Amino acid sequence: MTPSISPYGDHALYLKWPTEGYSEEVNITIHALAAHLRKGGKYIDVVPAYDSLLCVFDLGAYHMDEIKRHVEDALIRNKVKPLQTGKTVEIPVHYGGTDGPDMQTICEHSGLSEAEVIERHSQDSYRVCMMGFIPGFTFLSPAAKALHHPRLATPRALVPAGSIGIANWQTGIYGLESPGGWQIIGRTPLSIFDGKRDAPFLLKAGDQVRFIPQ
Amino acid sequence: MSLTILQSGTQTLIMDAGRPGHRHKGIPGGGAADKLSFAIANHLVGNRWDTPALECALGGLHIRFERDTRIAISGAEMWAQNQGLNLPMNKAVSVEKGNILTMSSTRAGCRAYIAIAGGVEGHSFLDSVSTYLPAELGGLEGHALKIGDVVPLGEPQGPSNSLPHGYVPKLSNHIVLRAQRGPEWNNLSNAGKRYMFTTPFYATAATDRMGSRLKGDHITLDKPVNMTSSPLLPGSLQIPSDGKPILALADGQCTGGYARALQIIQADLWLLGQIAPGTAISFRRSLNEESAAILKAKNAYYADIIPGFTF
Repeated sequence: MTPSISPYGDHALYLKWPTEGYSEEVNITIHALAAHLRKGGKYIDVVPAYDSLLCVFDLGAYHMDEIKRHVEDALIRNKVKPLQTGKTVEIPVHYGGTDGPDMQTICEHSGLSEAEVIERHSQDSYRVCMMGFIPGFTFLSPAAKALHHPRLATPRALVPAGSIGIANWQTGIYGLESPGGWQIIGRTPLSIFDGKRDAPFLLKAGDQVRFIPQ
Repeated sequence: MSLTILQSGTQTLIMDAGRPGHRHKGIPGGGAADKLSFAIANHLVGNRWDTPALECALGGLHIRFERDTRIAISGAEMWAQNQGLNLPMNKAVSVEKGNILTMSSTRAGCRAYIAIAGGVEGHSFLDSVSTYLPAELGGLEGHALKIGDVVPLGEPQGPSNSLPHGYVPKLSNHIVLRAQRGPEWNNLSNAGKRYMFTTPFYATAATDRMGSRLKGDHITLDKPVNMTSSPLLPGSLQIPSDGKPILALADGQCTGGYARALQIIQADLWLLGQIAPGTAISFRRSLNEESAAILKAKNAYYADIIPGFTF
């Protein structure tokens, strides 16, 4: 599968893979390509997402065409090494109530009871597909189909740290208190990111996550 | 040697040039929101352009110097006084031990930079002392400066400089940002596409270093965009389904899930730091070749004046 490549503003190049929903194969390809591109020191940032990659450069130092050629070349040459499967981390979750203000929305939309939503959300382990948004925000592989739901039309000004939400097929964890538009169904007391810890991040891309209802 | 915060003002933060290169971990580059004014203030007091300084949003700041030193203030036009006497902006001035500097009455822009000879010191995280409030990184324990904080000062690096006429940008409360179409531009309705470049928007009270919610004609989408979370940059304009745009600023989140309609060009990113609640914002379409030439000219303009600084 080959991505479309287009300028993102004047100082970044955007690659988008044409996946329908989630593809683990594509996500692994993207992480491998990102790691490769990051090595050369040409880019300010190389940001992998589920099905896209953003290569940020200094327009004062490079021309967009030069960056495009470099990325195209890397796409051809880059041999995909499977992303190492990382550790499995169990995450305790308080579902519903004040910890999950959008639980009712998900229940009504899916026609499931709260207990069924909790069971579906916690039955499988998830793969960490990307870290992004803000430090510690953990983007996971798809939730069970019945739980899929669009984001809020108007994002909340504040979502508490540890909140666990749904956005379309995605599920994930807010690592820190922040604004956000995901449907929040629960919350974990675990700290995913703490800059004052020796190892600031609890999770990284490639890890497995299992939610344990409390 | 140090300075003491007597009043912290709306928000005063320790900033340097930021910590680029960590967006894949969800850590934004951050740093001085208006990189140009920050660089000018540092240059005036003889510091390297990227030396840590104070970023003072919308005034209200009172500080006492605990040693004789030199300072310079650039960026947002504020009423600055030392011991009750008016201080010129964009000029290195001497202050004495025990002097009290007050910053008030922002007339244009949002953030003033107070550079002190030798800079200020803070906690370093990923090679930067820039304060990033959401994760409590940099600064003093990752917080905004508060009453009673004692900020250590560094050793002066060199003699003060002056700037030739024409190098201080004139700030306005109507900011024009040149932009290119984002990946989801084509999801906008025809009216949305038209209004984007023709009507002004206003920054609402929901404005901080992370982003600014804009008010104005609603930018409607032709069809709802159920997007997979995708990368974002400072200067990315997102359109949620309620049609009220969100402009990502210096601490903007690394990924987002709303339609990305525009991306501000690199040469204009420094202006994002001067967006205050109430600031009018217009977007102007920029073409790729044009924007590269603009950046080249701006970098060349400052290259001989402020060593090492680029937009």
